[in-house]
Amino acid sequence: MAVIEPVVGKYVYLNIQGVEYRVFYEESGAGIPIICQHAGGGDGLEWRTLLNDADITSKYRVIVPNLPYHGKSLPPESLEWWKLEYRLTKSFFMDFHLELSIALDLDRPVYMGCYVGGFMALDLALEYPDKFRAVIGVGAAQRGGPATLDTFYHPSVTNNYRRVNAMYFCAPMTPEVHRREVTWCAMQCAAPTTKGDLYYYFKEHDLTGKTHLFDTSRCAVYLLTGDYDPTSSVEDTMELAKAIKGSKFTEMKGLSHAGMHENPPVFKSYLTPILDEIVKHSEQP
Amino acid sequence: MAVHFINPDKTSSFINVLNSDPEFKIAARYMTKDVCIEVGKIKCIVKFRDGVITQMKSENAFADPWDFAIRGSVDAWEKFLQPIPPRFYDGIFGGMIRGNFVLEGDTVSAFSHFWAVTRMLDIFRELQNK
Repeated sequence: MAVIEPVVGKYVYLNIQGVEYRVFYEESGAGIPIICQHAGGGDGLEWRTLLNDADITSKYRVIVPNLPYHGKSLPPESLEWWKLEYRLTKSFFMDFHLELSIALDLDRPVYMGCYVGGFMALDLALEYPDKFRAVIGVGAAQRGGPATLDTFYHPSVTNNYRRVNAMYFCAPMTPEVHRREVTWCAMQCAAPTTKGDLYYYFKEHDLTGKTHLFDTSRCAVYLLTGDYDPTSSVEDTMELAKAIKGSKFTEMKGLSHAGMHENPPVFKSYLTPILDEIVKHSEQP
Repeated sequence: MAVHFINPDKTSSFINVLNSDPEFKIAARYMTKDVCIEVGKIKCIVKFRDGVITQMKSENAFADPWDFAIRGSVDAWEKFLQPIPPRFYDGIFGGMIRGNFVLEGDTVSAFSHFWAVTRMLDIFRELQNK
């Protein structure tokens, strides 16, 4: 008998800032909804292990969307997008998640995101604390910092560059089969997306002077960062955790940039206590 | 710890291993560049011609031209070459972000051929610990 995964893929139409997008998402499980957002220049493949983890899907409805322009979520039909520089903005990214929650009729879902998605965890918790019961920021930091983005989308630089970056954003103890899968997936997305997504990461996300405004009693904030991550270091995230009163930080040993993909069992060992805590908190009257 | 890839006595065997590595052969296809790997004050010029390494020169290479260079201190390269490198020394790109390595010259060419370069450096690590 063939092995068939319980994961289901669907399309939902979202109107975001006046434009209709056909958005692909996968889901699995039942219970508290948890939206898992992929990283910049990535897609939902990053979360495939979590979608198939019965320990998690027995308590959570795991939902993995692909942002517009990523994976199976095509650019919109109503825009001449080929005449525009693809650029992910903070307002679009936030509106995307607000519209997704409404369209799927989610009751204060948990939001978990990695890197670009991890930064969004913080922006959502800050600006919409009543729309999400908790956020989990993987590799989140206060700000992205200065960077040159041009090499991420240049006619002389192929997707192999992103592949290589992804490979070396895995900790050296990453199982080779996972490291190679991470690199393969890093090449999947359309060429403009990495540069465009990093616009939000480097240019728009900045919590300087805002960390005292978080209300973690309304939306819990969890931060997970791998000790090998060179982009958002453990120290960067610890600094952020100290600044956000009530937030909880966990250093993930032996992981780097995208723990859920590079070493799923190790990532799960850090994620499970957080999810258990959210379940416990959700059961309280 | 001596850095083996700049040892002239090992150059020939390094070139043989690199040019026969299946992944390197795919990654380096079409690459014709001169790459400078600088270990402290020592330059190692690696010549790529149509995807094949034709020369590694670390003696009297101070005036040799190159297309792009990856520079690091002796300490940085020793950490990079460990079987399990410490954080921020395990990859060149991450090491650059953290200031442990520097990329100079024609960086677009460097990124165009980053797979070949990083596979070469991984083989340097494998041979260092053999």
